[in-house]
This record gives sequence, C-alpha cells and structure tokens, in this order.
Amino acid sequence: MHAEVAEGAREEVVSVWNDELEIHVQVAGSGPPLLFLHSAGGLRWGEFLDRLGEHYTIHAPQLPGTHPSDPHAIHKVDTFADLLLMYEELVRALGIAGAPVVAESFGGMIAVDLAAHFPALFSKLVLLAPAGLWLDDHPPTVFELTAAAPEEVPGYLFANPDSDIAKAFFALPDDPELIPGIVAALVWAQGCSGKFLWPIPDQGTAKRLHRVTAPTLIIFGSEDRVMPAIYGEEYARRIAGSRLEVIEGCGHIPQVEELDRTFELVMSFLEA
Amino acid sequence: MKVLYSGQAPYRYLPEDFAQRYDSVVTTPYLDLVEPANMQESLHSYVEELLLAARSGFDGVMVTEHSQTSYDLSPNPNLVAAILAHTTAVEGIDAAITVLGRSLGKSREPLRIAEEYAVLDTLSGGRLIAGLPVGLSYDANQNGGIPPIETRARYREGRALLEKAWSATEPFAWNGKYSRYPIVNIWPRPMQQPHPPFWIPGSGSPGTLAEILGHDEVFTYLSHFGPKLTGPRIFNRFWDMAEEMGRDRNPYRLAFMQVVCVGETDAEAEHLYGEHLQRHFRNSFGSVPMSGFSLPGYTDIRGVEAILRDHGDMGIAGRLREITFRELADTRAAIVGGPETVREQIIEFVKEFRIGNLLVMLHGGSMPHELARYNIGLFATEVLPHLRGIWDDEGWEHRWWPTGIGARTPAGSAAAV
Repeated sequence: MHAEVAEGAREEVVSVWNDELEIHVQVAGSGPPLLFLHSAGGLRWGEFLDRLGEHYTIHAPQLPGTHPSDPHAIHKVDTFADLLLMYEELVRALGIAGAPVVAESFGGMIAVDLAAHFPALFSKLVLLAPAGLWLDDHPPTVFELTAAAPEEVPGYLFANPDSDIAKAFFALPDDPELIPGIVAALVWAQGCSGKFLWPIPDQGTAKRLHRVTAPTLIIFGSEDRVMPAIYGEEYARRIAGSRLEVIEGCGHIPQVEELDRTFELVMSFLEA
Repeated sequence: MKVLYSGQAPYRYLPEDFAQRYDSVVTTPYLDLVEPANMQESLHSYVEELLLAARSGFDGVMVTEHSQTSYDLSPNPNLVAAILAHTTAVEGIDAAITVLGRSLGKSREPLRIAEEYAVLDTLSGGRLIAGLPVGLSYDANQNGGIPPIETRARYREGRALLEKAWSATEPFAWNGKYSRYPIVNIWPRPMQQPHPPFWIPGSGSPGTLAEILGHDEVFTYLSHFGPKLTGPRIFNRFWDMAEEMGRDRNPYRLAFMQVVCVGETDAEAEHLYGEHLQRHFRNSFGSVPMSGFSLPGYTDIRGVEAILRDHGDMGIAGRLREITFRELADTRAAIVGGPETVREQIIEFVKEFRIGNLLVMLHGGSMPHELARYNIGLFATEVLPHLRGIWDDEGWEHRWWPTGIGARTPAGSAAAV
C-alpha cells in the first residue's frame, strides 16, 4: 500500500499562493487534459489511472506535504478554504481550467467544493466515494479508519478484504529496507489530509453544493464502510442533475475493487 | 535528590478480564464498568494518598492529565492540585505542587492554563512546578479532537501565549493562529518570578530532547516501557545531546517516574503487590491501542520512519496488555522488593543515568487504599531518607525547583496551628 507514480510520468512543479507554496503535479497519459485528485493516503498510480491515461492527459497534484521533497509544506496551508484557493490557482496555472475532474474520497471532497466555489472550473465531475458530508445517523468512519490498527484497515476499505485485489493493494515491497520509508510516507499523507478531515470530515460543503452546475457522476460501493453508500444519495440529492451509480458488493475504493465496472462507468460519462 | 510522590487516579474496580475486553481509553464503556460509589471511593483514595505522601516528607506531589480514560480519572489535574495546594499551605507542608501537566497541544484555551497555574502557584505560596506536556496523541487528537498534525504547532503557540501572559507588564492583544484575544491581562500572576519551573514530560525523541535542552528545562521521563530497556538509550541520548549543546551535567535537569512497591521483604512485596502491578500495567498503558500513541500526523514523518526502523524506545510497550509480573520486575518497569532491594535498584539507576528528580508511583490499578498507605509509609521511612543525599557530593544547584519552598512560612500555616 504505497504511493506510486506512473511510468514515464513527468513532474511539474507549480508555484502558487504568491509564490509561497510549490505543488508537485504528476502528469501522464495522452489526450485532452483531466485533473485527478487523490485520496487521504496520498497519490497512488494504479491501473485505473493507467487506463484513463490512454484517453486523457492526467494531471495529478500531490497534496502539500505528501511529496517527499517537502513534508512540511502542509504547514503552509492553514484552512480548507485556503486549500481550495490554492488548488484553484493551480488549475489555472496548469492551463487546464474547463477540463473534467476525477477525484477519490478526500480528493472528491476537494473537487466538489472547488466546483461549488468556482462553477466554471470543471467541465465534468466524477466523484468516487467522496468524503465531505456528515449525517448524524450514518457517521462516516474516517476517524475510526485513521486510528485503526494496520490489520483492521483492509476491512474498512474493501468489501472483500481477503480478495487477491485487496491483498495486492496492501502488499509491501520484498526489500525490508524500503518498508519504513513507505509506511512513514503513507502515515504522513494521512496526517496531512487529516488537517481537513479531523476530527469531523465535514467542512460545510453540504450548504454549498447547490452551486455546482457541472454534470456530475457519483460512484459509491454498496458496502463502503468509510463513507456509507447513503452519502451517494445525499450527494445526488444536493447536486442538481447529478447521476448516482452504486456498485454492488464493492467497498470504499471502487476503482480498485471493481475496476472494470468503474472504468466503464467513468468513461461512458466522460465521453458522452 | 528530590523525591516526589507521583499520583495517578485509576478506577480501582475494573473486572479481571478488562484488558482482554476493552481499551483503557477513548472507547471504554463507563456505564457498563462503573459503580458510582466505587468511583467516588477511587477518587477519594487518590486524593488521600497524595495528601498522605505530602505529610510523609516527600519533596513534592505530582498529578497528571488524562481525559476519557479509565486509568487516570483526571481530565483537569488542576482540580486536585488545588486541593493539594490549599491543604499543604494550611498544614505548613513545604512540598512542591507538581502538575505534569495541562496539555498545551490539546487545550483550546491555553490562556486558561496560564490562569489556573497562576492560581495554584499563588495558593501554594510559590510551590508550583508547571508541567508543559504536548499531550498524548489519543488524548489530544481523539479525545480533544485536535487534528494530529496541528498538535505541536498549537503547543508552541499556547506556550508562547502562556509565557507572555505571565510576563507582560501591560495588557496585550493576541492574534494567534489558534487563539485570539482582544485583551490579555490575567489575574492572578504566578508568585514565582520570572515563572514557576517548567518540567517537560516526553518520550525521549531527539527532537523533543533538543527542544528541552535548548530551553534549559527539565526533561521528565516515565518508566512504563521498562527503563532497563529504554533508559540506557534515552538517558544516554539526553546527556550526549546536553554535551553537544554545551549544557552542564547537572542531574536536576532530569526527572524520572518510577513505579515502586516496598514490602518488609522481597517475598512479601511480590506477594502483596505482584497481582496488582500486573493488572495495573495491563489495564492502563497496556490497554491503550498502539495507534493511540501517535495518530497519523502527530509524529513528524522522520520520527515515524525512525521508530519503524528502530522501535527500541518503545521497550515493552507492545507487550503490556499481556505483561507478567516477572517481566515488569526484570525490565524495571516496576521496582519491587524489601527496602534494601528497592534502595539498591533505585540508587543504581539514579546514579547510572544522573537522575536528580525521582517521581515514585506507589499506587497502581486495583491496589486497595490500605495497601497503598502501607507502601507509602514503608517508602517514606525505609527508602526515602537514603535517597536524599545522592547528589550532595557533586554540589549542583537545583535551578528548576520552586522558589517558594523554604523561602517563607507558607501562607495560612497560622490558621492550622
């Protein structure tokens, strides 16, 4: 379970926030531009992005603090509101305003709130199990997941934690020398995201969702233990004209656990 | 050497199988486990034992802060510290009131800490030792809801505010990242000037030690993880760093908390305390989930990697939930025996690591009040007198000891006569 970038990806370093912050962006693939926003665990380039990169040039920024060159960049981001403004500057600086965005979990929370603040920023939104809403009767388990013992994590993220797909997702390299650095980076990425997710993963996004005008596809797994699928209904209810797809028997990472189905849904929505 | 009594307030009536069934913090189900009368008794006994220690000649009494915790019923240690400050003042007992302490990384109201400490220092006539802990991760982040990655930044800002609130000669405005006040002008101010001594509890990471030595303050280390294993690493690191940073080898720079159980003989001590000790370690720190010591973001990325490469500083932490009495004794997580054994083991350790302040925990877990009284009494008469002079021949000045002690007749002593 570790951050990887695409083979042959190039890294762009974009200066934002009056040149006080550098954001590292992995760029890979070919075709029209597409923004990808990663989850709380940091950027991880899996097969979903490889496939998407056959059709789009993917721009995947790394949350400040999660790039190895500057773990303390996160301390330059005081609030979620500032983070949104930084990302808006980033999208403009990359020259990809008006492109579609695909975003997973924590990234989904950023993407949808960017679209609420700046309705013209994206042509389309694809939200994969997005965080950002809170229902008292169905509390998300972001807090529990973050505090969970390592052996409990697969059960939070996957409907079938014993599957080969889940095992491959959490596999660590054979070389034991590499493991501490990889685990530390993953833990730190959670810490950086936690700045906006902890203790309650709700930054008031719900009250701004009526401002989202871009066509929106929301995908949830029916067995998502982190953000229960009822949040799909809640997002769909609050974003006018949006479409919800719930994938049966799937957990919190549909683009990994049900890759084919998810990719098909995403592509048909983006190409339509 | 200064010898202080270290208090902790566990609920004393946890079930036998507690450690197998529950965590000791955050999620521990109160209504299932607690009988209110037993809770009252647990708290009363805790306070009584602190007062007994103060009356028995200890140089100080110490309390700590833990919220939503079954092993230390002390969401705000200043509540009990106020009892201690007043009672000792009235009774003319010149003991240090040691709060180790209110957590500045957790608090959303650091100015309240500055005010409370100032009340305690004044109430006690300048006998406060002001602990400035960052706060344990589970307490600051899970109980307190502070994003882990903000914990240290909040600590630093809160501490800067506390120090300014104590030293400013004029009211001032505070426009911080975490606290904002239009006018700060606290009443009372501490009696000790420029401020009560700062003691900093920590787990001994190089970053923490550098900060403590840089500020020229007291590093306070707790023994729960087995000092036979962790002590050589952490204390040697401390003194090596002190040398590198040009600090002297004054043993009063170090405070060390140690669980101690004294009997008439080694056999009696093991018989009387063994079971309680085992339960104490299993049910308190042993039942804190490992993640609770460092939620993601609480420890810097380099620190996380360092711990993953070498977890020697954690000692027996990972085994505490099933720890046996034998292992506790072998690793010196607890020093248990007749007076001679206890004296020998303490003196060996104190001398080897140059410890100038010893905080002894003489109660733990399910230990009944009468047994705790027995332990306190034996320690005070059979052990304590042999420890006081350990550093006298080196002639160090204790620059981190409350100036109100020995300086004047404690206020209110006349009332007790």
